[in-house]
This record gives sequence, C-alpha cells and structure tokens, in this order.
Amino acid sequence: MPGPADPQDPRGDSGGPGEIAIEARSLHKRYGAVHALRGIDLVVRRGEMFALLGPNGAGKTTLFSILATLLRPSEGEARVLGHDTVRERARVRERIGIVFQEPALEGKLSVRDNLYLMGLFYRLSSRAAKARSEELLHTLGLEEVAEREAQKLSGGQKRRVELARALVASPDLLFLDEATLGLDVDARRQFWGEARRYSQRGGTVFLTTHYMDEAEPADRIALIDHGRILALDTPQALKNRIGGGVLLLATADDARAAAWLHERGFEPEVGARGVLLVVPEPAAVLPEVLAQLPVRTHRAEIHEPSLEDVFLKLTGRALEDGQAAPRVRGASGPGAAQ
Amino acid sequence: MRGLIAVILLDLKRLWVDRVRLATSLIQPLLYLFVLGSGLGASSVMGGRGYLHYIFPGVLGLSLLFSSVFAAMLIVFDRQIGFLKAVLVAPVPRVSIALGKVLSGALQALVPATVLLLLVPVLGLGLSPLRFVELIASMWLAALTFSALGVATAARFRSTTVFPIIGNAVLLPLFFLSGALYPLDRAPPWLRALAHADPVAYAVDLMRGAVIGRYAYPPVLSICVLTAFVVVLTWLATRVFAAGDNL
Ligand SMILES: Nc1ncnc2c1ncn2[C@@H]1O[C@H](COP(=O)(O)OP(=O)(O)OP(=O)(O)O)[C@@H](O)[C@H]1O
Ligand SMILES: [Mg+2]
Repeated sequence: MPGPADPQDPRGDSGGPGEIAIEARSLHKRYGAVHALRGIDLVVRRGEMFALLGPNGAGKTTLFSILATLLRPSEGEARVLGHDTVRERARVRERIGIVFQEPALEGKLSVRDNLYLMGLFYRLSSRAAKARSEELLHTLGLEEVAEREAQKLSGGQKRRVELARALVASPDLLFLDEATLGLDVDARRQFWGEARRYSQRGGTVFLTTHYMDEAEPADRIALIDHGRILALDTPQALKNRIGGGVLLLATADDARAAAWLHERGFEPEVGARGVLLVVPEPAAVLPEVLAQLPVRTHRAEIHEPSLEDVFLKLTGRALEDGQAAPRVRGASGPGAAQ
Repeated sequence: MRGLIAVILLDLKRLWVDRVRLATSLIQPLLYLFVLGSGLGASSVMGGRGYLHYIFPGVLGLSLLFSSVFAAMLIVFDRQIGFLKAVLVAPVPRVSIALGKVLSGALQALVPATVLLLLVPVLGLGLSPLRFVELIASMWLAALTFSALGVATAARFRSTTVFPIIGNAVLLPLFFLSGALYPLDRAPPWLRALAHADPVAYAVDLMRGAVIGRYAYPPVLSICVLTAFVVVLTWLATRVFAAGDNL
C-alpha cells in the first residue's frame, strides 16, 4: 500500500549534505562470460581518501567506471554524493572530477586551452574558466608549459595536467584511476602531494592503484581481487589484522622451505621475495628455523607487516606481480582469517 | 547552451591549431576544381557553360559530403584514444553534444566549400545576388544534413579502421545516386526511384536550383526532407551518446 511521502524526510535519502560520498550495494558486472565484479559493497565517507588496491584484472577500473558513471552495473546500485549513478548520472557528473587510466587530453591543443575548454564543458563562464585555468596552472606548477601542446609534455607533466583538468570545475569528489601509471618516483610523489592537498581542503578522493605505497596514505583501503573486496579498513587495521610480525626468508628452494615449515605447523606463503611467515613473535622463532631449515637461507628479515604482506596472506599471491601461482584454496574465499 | 558552445569551440580550436588539416581543407577545393575542369573538357556535347552550371553545385555537394564525414570521423578517433570519454562525462546535455557535433562538422565542411564559392566570379557563373544568397543558404542546409549523417553513424563506432570502410560503403552510393556529377536521366527507373530516398540528391538539387533556377524537386519538399533528416539523425546521435552503457 503506497503511502504518502514521509513529511519528515521530504528529500528522501538523496541530496542534502550527507556524510556519505559513495555507497555501493551488491554491485555485479559481467562482460559476457567474464564476471568482473562479484558483489561489491562499500561506503566512502565525505572528506575521506579512499584507495582501491588490487592486482591487474582485479576489477578496479570496472568498479571505478561504475562509480564514476561511465559504466552501467549488471546488478546492484551505487549512489555518489546522494545520487544514483545510473538514473541521476547528470547530477553526479556535475560534481565529480576524473583522471582516467588512459590519457584523455587533446594532444594538439595547448595545456591552457585544454583546461579552459574543459571549464566551458563544466558550465563555467568564459571568464571563470580562464581564471580557474590560470589558478590551476599556478598551483600545479604548470605555468611554464601552459602554451605547450599537450602531446609534447613529459608523462609526469601530462598526468598533472589531467589532474588540473579534473579539478577545473572544483569537484566535491575526485576519481583517480591508476593516475600515476608509468611515472617515476619523483613524479608520483608530486602527483600524490597535489591529490593530498585537495583532500586536506575537504575533498573526497577515490583512487585505484596496484602500488601499495600509493594506497598507504589513504584513510581507508579496500583490497580487491577477482571482483571481490577481500578486506576494507584503515591501513593500520589491515596490518594489525595479520596478527604479529612478518618473517621473510629468501632461500635456495622456497617451495621446499615452505613445505618444511608447513609440516612444522606454520602457515607459510611463497611470494616473489621469498617465503613469508606471519607469527606473533618472529624474533623468537627465527633462530630455531634458521638452524633446522633443510635448505640454505640466503637472507632472513623481520619486519612489520606491510600491505603487500596482507595481500599475500589473504590471497596467496603477490600484489605487484600477478604472475605468482595462486595458492590452492578451500571452497570458501579467503575471508578475514585472523 | 554553454555546453553546445563548448563542443563547437573545442572542434574549431582543434581545426585551427591543426595546420595540416586546415591547409588540406583550403587546398582540397582546387582538387575538386580539377575534377570539374576535366568534366568540362569531356562534355563539350552538353555545352560548356550549361555543364558548368550543372556540375558546380555537384562539386560543392561532393566537397561538403566528404568533408563533413571526415569531420565525423574525428569522433571515432576521439573515442579510440579515450578523449571522447572526458567529453561525454562532462555535465553537458546529450542533445547539446550531438547538436554541437553536427554544427561543428557542418562548419568544418563549409570551410573548403566557401573557398569553392569564392571561385564563382572567376568561373563566370553569372549569379545574381539573390541566387548567390540562395546558394549559400542551401549549402548550409546541405552541410548540416551531411554532418548529421556523419555524426549519427560515427557515434556508434569504436574503431577507426572499421568506420571508413562502412563510411565509404554508405557514402559512395549516396553520392552516385545523387546525380551530382552527371544526370540520372538515362539510369534505369529503379535507380531513379532509389534516388528519391537519397538526401544528397535533394541537397544537390537545392544548390543546383539556386544556380540554374530550375529544380528537379520542389524546393519546399527538399527543404522539408533535409530538415527532417537533420532532426532525425541528430536525435539518433543524441540517443547513442545518452545510452552511456560504456563510455
Ligand atoms: N570491456 C571489457 N570486455 C570484456 N572484459 C573486460 C572488459 N573490461 C574489463 N574486462 C575484464 O574484467 C576484469 C576486470 O578488469 P578491470 O579493467 O576492471 O581490472 P583492473 O583491476 O582495472 O586491472 P588493471 O590493474 O590492469 O587496470 C578483467 O578480467 C578484464 O579482462
Ligand atoms: Mg584498471
């Protein structure tokens, strides 16, 4: 029986300066036979810097595209800044800025024109678009290349221009899809410096990456693999989840070492860097392991858990090289074992 | 409205900075003139001046048709390199994007056609000012029609290798059916019947009528048909841009 609209809540749960920036409910995406997203639920709060971390093919761009109104989900729904990403995409688009994984500048136009014209596309007046472009050229240190053709910039400069372009309409929410792909360490640091500045001024950032150091400064991180979110928490909580410290052994035969450790009741993971062991007190077990391990140990190292370790622990695969063989797992997903 | 202006301004700026493309569109008419010249030589039968009057609007049509489809081709190119995505995700009404693309394509196509038009005094077509204005107006309508045809087709394509193939497969029959370069008088009746469905035929006839003062179709009919084509094709393009299943 459809009653009248609730007078207490004339705007429903849409609109209004709510606390929630992004909300996804059981999102699925299928590309023909490929099931790229398998039920994604997440909430990103206003002002948060949120990172989606996962290896190649995990579904990052797919999820990103759905949230940024570029792609329709096969099932489920998402709301961004209070608006449905399918039915109200125009409303969402007014208030978001996007840096795509692939470059999307007009190469033949100058940097200045790229920014100015995008300003017009976001309904700024000609004067406002000019002023805003100049402001961004200044704050992002692009004044020197302002008149240069976009296609003649270095990779790092291009990405900075793309960031400027995404910021032209002063969006409330910034979407960054592997925005620093192919940049050197310096250029990456500079790029994230700018993104963080935006975030500190109150903007919400949703970024995807497969570099753990890029996810590290985020307020919260979602680890994604095979279209599912494996864990979602603050970086520290994710690392605590692993419970203890990490003992990393680089040996002459990692597989054999792992098998031996397994017999001893440990739960070793073989990653690209060696055999990984998560134990409450790594220093306490190290001498015994070193003394008894039947294969030669080249290097042993103890460290606090990194996001890389968390990912390896959850999936049995290394994050930054998707090549490592997947661990044989039981029927159920890895879940949050610890 | 701002969105519409942004779409057009973006395309015109790109044409302006792309000196090669700009130069090509200024020189290309000379090529067509060459076609025109050889046509003239071969057709002394029809009488030089008479055939010039006949063929000049046809050459205008040829130039407009191919230039506007080339302009539409840039949409496919933009999609392939990912730039179109940045445009489509902007909060611009889809109809502004479609209409903007149609208008900018028409403007781009009118550049070489205008160069051709400047040759009117040289060629000695002897047009009265009124005829001249009529010719310009019909060129605009022709350019809009061809551009809408190009945009509605290009909006659907993702690959810059497939589009030209399909484009040519559609373009050439449209052009040859139009009677732009030679009359269809001696063509079989079914072919002439087919020409009634060809927007290029109406556009060329409208331009030709402005030059020679005689129309094969009533001008009002041509204007209605062409306007209908522009509206329907722009609407189709709007729908493609609005679908947005996968930008
Ligand atoms: N248009 C498409 N058609 C078919 N399959 C697709 C399409 N786009 C993505 N996929 C598949 O969906 C899965 C997820 O792809 P997605 O691009 O979202 O991954 P990603 O996490 O962004 O990877 P990367 O780090 O390499 O960018 C992959 O298996 C991919 O092959
Ligand atoms: Mg991706």
